[in-house]
Amino acid sequence: MLLAVVAIAVFLLVEVLPLFWPDGASFPLEALWSSPDVSGEPEYRWLPHRLDDAAVPQASLAPLLWGTLEAAAWALVVAIPLALGAAAHSSLYMSPGLRARLKPTLELMEAMPSVVLGFIAGLALGPWVERHLAQSLSIVVVLPAAVVLLALGYRWLPDRLKAALTLRWAALWLIPCLLLLVWLAMSVAPMWEGWWFDGDLRLWVEESWGLDVQARNALIVGLAMGFAVIPGIYALAEDALSDVPRELAEGAQAMGATRWQTLTRVMLPVALPGVFSAIMIGAGRAVGETMIVLMASGNSALMTASPLDGLRSLASSIAIELPEAAPGGSHYRLLLLAALALFAFTFLVNTLAEVVRARLKRRFTRRKGDA
Amino acid sequence: MSRLSRCIGALKRTLLAPSRGPRTLSIAVSGEAPAAVSRVAPGAVSRVASRLVSGLVLSAMLVSAKVAAHDVAGSLDAIGSDTMAELMLRWGEQFEEQRPGVRLQLQVAGSASAPPALIAGTTLLGPMSRPMQEDESAAFIERHGYAPTPVVVGKDALVVVVNRHNPLSRLSRAELDAIFSDTLACGASESIERWQQLGLERPGGTIHLYGRNAVSGTHGLFRRRALCDGEFKVSVMVSAGSAAVVAAVGDDPAGIGYAGLNHLNADVKAVAIGNAEGGILPRRQSLRSGGYPLSRDLLIYVNRPPEGELPDVERAFLDMVLSPSGQRVVKELGFVALPPSVLAAQRHALGLAELPRDGP
Amino acid sequence: MKIPGHTAVGMPGKRRTREGPWAWLAAASVALSLIMLGALLVLLSVKGLSNFWPATVHQLTLKSGETVIGVPLATRELPSGQGLERRYLTANRDDGGGIWRWLANDQITEDTTPEDLVVLERRHWGTFLGRLVALQSGDQRLTGPDAWTVLESRLKEINALRDERRRLTHDEILPLIRSMEDQDGHRSEDRRLADLQRRASELQQRMQGDLVVLENGQGRRQEQALAETLEAWRPNAMAWHEKLGHWVRELWQFLSQGPRDANTAGGVWPAIFGTILMVLLMSILVTPFGVLAAVYLNEVAHQGRLTRLVRIGVRNLAGVPSIVYGVFGLGVFVYGIGGSIDRWFFESTLPSPTFGTGGLLWASLTLALLTLPVVIVATEEGLSRIPLHQREGALALGATRFETLTRVVLPMATPAMLTGLILAVARAAGEVAPLMLVGVAKLAPQVPLDGEFPFLHLERKFMHLGYHIYDAAFHSSDVQAAMPLVYATALLLVTVILVLNLTAIFMRHYLRKRHGAPVRR
Repeated sequence: MLLAVVAIAVFLLVEVLPLFWPDGASFPLEALWSSPDVSGEPEYRWLPHRLDDAAVPQASLAPLLWGTLEAAAWALVVAIPLALGAAAHSSLYMSPGLRARLKPTLELMEAMPSVVLGFIAGLALGPWVERHLAQSLSIVVVLPAAVVLLALGYRWLPDRLKAALTLRWAALWLIPCLLLLVWLAMSVAPMWEGWWFDGDLRLWVEESWGLDVQARNALIVGLAMGFAVIPGIYALAEDALSDVPRELAEGAQAMGATRWQTLTRVMLPVALPGVFSAIMIGAGRAVGETMIVLMASGNSALMTASPLDGLRSLASSIAIELPEAAPGGSHYRLLLLAALALFAFTFLVNTLAEVVRARLKRRFTRRKGDA
Repeated sequence: MSRLSRCIGALKRTLLAPSRGPRTLSIAVSGEAPAAVSRVAPGAVSRVASRLVSGLVLSAMLVSAKVAAHDVAGSLDAIGSDTMAELMLRWGEQFEEQRPGVRLQLQVAGSASAPPALIAGTTLLGPMSRPMQEDESAAFIERHGYAPTPVVVGKDALVVVVNRHNPLSRLSRAELDAIFSDTLACGASESIERWQQLGLERPGGTIHLYGRNAVSGTHGLFRRRALCDGEFKVSVMVSAGSAAVVAAVGDDPAGIGYAGLNHLNADVKAVAIGNAEGGILPRRQSLRSGGYPLSRDLLIYVNRPPEGELPDVERAFLDMVLSPSGQRVVKELGFVALPPSVLAAQRHALGLAELPRDGP
Repeated sequence: MKIPGHTAVGMPGKRRTREGPWAWLAAASVALSLIMLGALLVLLSVKGLSNFWPATVHQLTLKSGETVIGVPLATRELPSGQGLERRYLTANRDDGGGIWRWLANDQITEDTTPEDLVVLERRHWGTFLGRLVALQSGDQRLTGPDAWTVLESRLKEINALRDERRRLTHDEILPLIRSMEDQDGHRSEDRRLADLQRRASELQQRMQGDLVVLENGQGRRQEQALAETLEAWRPNAMAWHEKLGHWVRELWQFLSQGPRDANTAGGVWPAIFGTILMVLLMSILVTPFGVLAAVYLNEVAHQGRLTRLVRIGVRNLAGVPSIVYGVFGLGVFVYGIGGSIDRWFFESTLPSPTFGTGGLLWASLTLALLTLPVVIVATEEGLSRIPLHQREGALALGATRFETLTRVVLPMATPAMLTGLILAVARAAGEVAPLMLVGVAKLAPQVPLDGEFPFLHLERKFMHLGYHIYDAAFHSSDVQAAMPLVYATALLLVTVILVLNLTAIFMRHYLRKRHGAPVRR
């Protein structure tokens, strides 16, 4: 197996190296990160078709790298709170029966083929969000706020209801509540859009912030890819939390800490490396994900920080362009360099995560042995 | 046992002398890729390593080796461009109906493999959505001693599309260039970023650009013809297919994009291209007359010696393609069929019988 | 199973109210994840299955006096904010090009659903919507309700004839030609071929002859050869059980037929077949390697630094992006090994590649590499669950280590291996990115398995369900027309993968129950 890893690495290296050979290929290295001046302002461009005929090749990997990282970052922004929240909830509060079923369910979520996610995100969700910008924003704002309100209002609920609606089963009975909230958020959206944004949020955003809303943007990619990485992060983070010795948590609670305090003050510090490695592995998956980015991102090699613009990632460039690139040519090697970059990145991240996890596991087993 | 020996016999025969079967027709369709490059030559270094491995895989290969040789000798390697694969398939279907028993093998994959296949003689017909490049035809002449014969089988065009609610109806070529490129090679003075710059009230805001990926022929054609060989803006949303461009523009009130003529539908509106006085819409007339600037021919390149004849099956296939029923397929798939005069000229050049007068 | 904290504060008490908003947000995040999953599945099922239901056809009268016949689809708001517009499938591509029409709601003055509207599925020009005026068969001209009944029965005959003809070409003519190619010149076979071809033409003849006279919304009449018609139905006149029958039939056709009209109509059978074949080949390749590696790691190798390194390597392999595997497959398998094979065996056909281009074999190999870690990890887990005393017992009874392994350990670990294999299959079935590089095709009319020696064509390209989704959604001639089929294909793919995963989950559950938690070594 080590052989396979080595084989992949060696192959990529060997194929990419001629790119850097001083005399072999004619590709100037600076072009990889330089910014040829096209129209007055410096811009990083990825123009592989101009590799051979232009005097200055404009094939900067910078926008692709940027797009890859941006997509992964947004995916993590979506996935981390949801996955860690879910992990915390299921390891602390959830009824064991439900928990035993939740894990496989989330596993199913992970098995969802990325081409389907990309299709839904790119051709159903993206255009829908663009048409219903206000509704989408409304959902994002209303949901967390309403849940907090619910939590605050919970203590005034009649006891009978409280007994039925416990935190143990919250994951289930919150579903209809959330659906109701989503519906509510969507139906009030046109109202506040009319009050505050002159009836057209999209124009307002553009005029006041200069942000242009594209149908296929980084946020949509982030959402779809977040969906894909939630289960992975959840499973590992949950493992990490479950591996925390029980005595620690019980001790803290015996001293009067709430379960949430137990989590944040006692369990999380101990399990932090494990949680961290879970996030790392999630990031690794997000960076290499191809089909979702390819189908949902618009593939424009932009370098902007705006989450509403399109982006283009290394992986999707490889998928589109490699079959058409002549083997041995500069374009082919450049794409292989991109693959190498992906490989190296995920390799580092995964190794780091594995080492951290292994350390943690050993520490706990040792402690158990001591006790 | 006897079966095995027969197999081995067949294997020997095909390996030693892979000849085309009597009733098979072989065609390779080009992809949309701008440059024709043989995909066979691997990287120099991996070649050495792979030799070793391939020795191991070899024994497993032997069984399928026979059929592969056999297939290539008589298979239709239709390599799927967005543009011509479906056309070839439909023609193939029609051809099979006319001549039951003719084996038509289409394989759809996606790159400009028609010229190399024609040069090597693996196929006699090479459909392409662009004319052969200098070096390609030079290589062909070098190998065969004569030039490949291009046969125009239909017309296609690139259409600039906007959302169906967009009031825009006409763009000058300089405006088109100023919208899509930032090199302004067609003579515009400033880049056009917003709809207001075109004098439109609606849709407000920034123009959203949609286009094709850099390796597609559509991208190359648009870049050469509409951008005067300039360069696209970075903000063009790149789709993997023309249909996706149309769908995106149909969903985006502020969108503009370009796509093949056959992808046009009710979600979008074609924009006339022209100068200040008037634009030309991609209609049948303007395409046939060559008035529309963004048109292209759909071609089948034929390997036909100057004083020889095509083999029977290929000839019959072209006969069908250049007949009213073959041209009906062109029309049905959304392309523009050839006018009768061109059709007759093509048939004459190929030495096919004249069509009966009553026409389609 | 450890549930820290949970057992400590099992009883509901006053403290519960002090948990604060964070706990609720955490709970909500679980709920939200479940909602997203559910929404996705519901969306896919509804959109994927509703397509096959015979939709009601409307006849609209517009303000301009024009009559339009169409099936109402998506509704959108007009950009100016004045009301709604609706997309209608008006079909009849031969009428003027388009098959869609957007109509603003206030343009429509009358909206009816007359029972006599027919839908005709045709081989060319797509669907027809309109009215049946007459059926002309020979000199006979039928009109009114008779025409419809005769049309239905005649259509059945024609479809039977078409099947017969297809069978004749595939099962008799083609094999005959193939055998003639191998041994040239046999008079008797020439005669037989001519005979068969005559029979095929005869069948073709018998299909023809009938003409349907149709009338579109504007009242324009046209003639249509019945032989070019695949199916006809009158959705507005159908009872619900007839509609259900139609729905089942359409669903079956979707699963059993090949695509038509540039992947916008017809079915996905070649894609299903290609996926299954590729996955089978991959399983054959991956199982021995995966199991051997796991057995070595868990049973044979010395558990030290090296094995730990290897385990990290395996996990790393699982984390490598699938596209990188694709690049590897393209560079090493396709261009490297495939190129060499071409140079050695198929020199005559160069530069047209035979193995030097993507194909079934390379795709299976690449995916085998991709799924290797899945199999190893699952098998290892299964092996580590087998209690030590089982092995010790076997050894104590005098079995050799090899016997212990093959007679005791491996049989016990079989379900775990199967679990791993199922998971690998599920992963491979859903993976698209590497396949785009190593051998998937948009349209491969030649399935890689046929009656031609050696029956399995490893070098051929194949169709794949996942790639079919991508392709139909981006590359078909009209995305809107392809959309229902894309949803249906996506639903099919998701169903297959979910069923596989559920099987694996249940098997693992069963294993845990039988053998308990893994033994850490």
